Amino acid sequence: MTDRDRELMERYLYQVVRRLPKDQREETALELQELIGDMLEEDGSTMEDVLTKLGDPAKFAERYQDISHCLIGPEYYDTYLWFVKVVLLCSMLPVFAVGFLDAVRKAGPGAGYTGAYATNSVISEAVFVLGSLLGAVVDALSAGIAAFGAVTLIFVILEWQKVKLDRKRERQWKVDDLGTASGKSFSGWTPGVLSPVPHPKARISRGDCIVEIIFTVVLGVLLIFAPHFFAVIFPEGEGGFVIPLLNLEQWDMILPVFILSLAIGLMDNVVRLAVGVYGKIVVISSVLCNAVSLVLAVVLLKMMPFWNPDFALELQLYLGGDGEIADWLTHWNGDTASSLLLAVIVFAVILDSGTVIYKTLRYGRLR
Amino acid sequence: MGEEKDLLAGLVLELRRGTLILSVLSQMGEAKYGYALVQSLEEKGVEIDPNTLYPLLRRLEKQGLLESRWETGGSKPRKYYRRTGYGDEIYRELKNQWRQMASGIEALLEEEER
Repeated sequence: MTDRDRELMERYLYQVVRRLPKDQREETALELQELIGDMLEEDGSTMEDVLTKLGDPAKFAERYQDISHCLIGPEYYDTYLWFVKVVLLCSMLPVFAVGFLDAVRKAGPGAGYTGAYATNSVISEAVFVLGSLLGAVVDALSAGIAAFGAVTLIFVILEWQKVKLDRKRERQWKVDDLGTASGKSFSGWTPGVLSPVPHPKARISRGDCIVEIIFTVVLGVLLIFAPHFFAVIFPEGEGGFVIPLLNLEQWDMILPVFILSLAIGLMDNVVRLAVGVYGKIVVISSVLCNAVSLVLAVVLLKMMPFWNPDFALELQLYLGGDGEIADWLTHWNGDTASSLLLAVIVFAVILDSGTVIYKTLRYGRLR
Repeated sequence: MGEEKDLLAGLVLELRRGTLILSVLSQMGEAKYGYALVQSLEEKGVEIDPNTLYPLLRRLEKQGLLESRWETGGSKPRKYYRRTGYGDEIYRELKNQWRQMASGIEALLEEEER
C-alpha cells in the first residue's frame, strides 16, 4: 500500500467513523481497515476501485445507525404534514394581509409626500407600495419559517415521547413475563399491552384542541407582527387615523410575556392532543399551565403598562368630545379594563381546570 | 422506461433484503471474517455489498445471534464472527419459516401459471 493509498483510506475511514457513536468508532475503523485490505488483495484492484465499490461514506455510516434515528416517524408523519399546512396558512396569510393593508393605508390618496418627491409623486408612491408589499412578503416568509420550526419541534418532542413510552411498555411486559413457564422473553407487541378503551366522555375532542391551537398561533402572529392593529381605526383622512389600544411604546417589554403566556397555553393544548384522554397527565398539565398563565396575566395586566395610557384622551380629542361614546369614554381607564379582563381570565381558568378535573374524576383514569 | 426499471430494481432489492439475514446466518456455523463471507456468499450466487454486510454483522452481534473475536496472529488483525447458541436456535427457526414460506409462494406461482 503506497502512502497515497493509505492517506485515501484514512480519509475514507474518518468520513465513515465520524458519523458513528463514539464507542463504535475505533472498532468499526479497524474492521473496515481489514475489509479494505482484503478487497485490495483481489487481482488488479486499486484503492480507488475499492473505495468506489464501498460507495459514499455517509451512506455507509447510515447503515450502521439504528432505524429509530427518525426525526418524525411514519406514525406522526401524516398528521405532521397536515399540521404544517394549517399552521403555515394561518401564520403567513394574516401577516401578509396585515402588511398589505398597511401598504394600502399608507399609500392612500395624498399620503403626504412633499418636497423633492412631490414632482415624482406617482413614481415614488409606486416604489413605496412595492417596497411595502415586499416587506409584507418577507414578514410572511419569516412568520412561515417560525411557524414551521415550532410545529416541527412539537412533533419531534411527540416522536421522542412515543419512543420513550414504547420502551417503557417493553420493559414492563418483560417483567410481567418473568413468571411464565417458557422463560423466553418476548419483546414484541402482545395484547397485554393494550390499554382499555376510554369512556367516550373521557376522550378529548381533537377538534377543540386544534381550534384552540390555531387561534393561539394566529393571535401570537398578530401580536408579533401587527400589534398596532389592536386599535380603533378611522379610515378617513390621510392614511386613516389610528388610536392603538395597547401600549406600543413599552411593547418590547410586554410582548415576550404575552408570547410566553400564549406558548404555555399552546403547550397545554398539544399535551391534550397527544394524550387524547382525560387522566393524570392532562390534569397536571392543565392545572400547571393555567396557574402559570394566571400569574402571567396578573403580571401583564396589573404590573406592566399594558394599555395605551392616552387611549381615552386621543379618542375623545378625535371625536370632538360629544355624543354617547365620548360620554362613555370618560369612564375608561386602564386599571378598570385590566380588572375586568383579569376577572374574565380567572373565570376561564377556573372553568377550564374545573372541567378537566371533573371529567377526569368522573370518566377518566387517575393512575 | 427508466422509471419502470427503478421500480423493479427497488422491488428486487426489497425482496432480497428479507433473505439476507438468513443467508448470512447460514454461513456462520464456523467462524469467518467479513470478506471471506462476502466471497463465499458470492460463490453461491448470493450477492451482498460489503457496505450492507458489515453493518448487518454488527447488528446481528448486538442482537446476540453472532459473536466475534479479533485474531491477531496472521499478517493483519482480523475479526471473526460465528453463530452463538442463541443464533443456532434462531437460525433453525428461520430456516423452517423460510421453507414454509417458499413452498407456499411456489404453490401460488404454480397455480397461477397453470
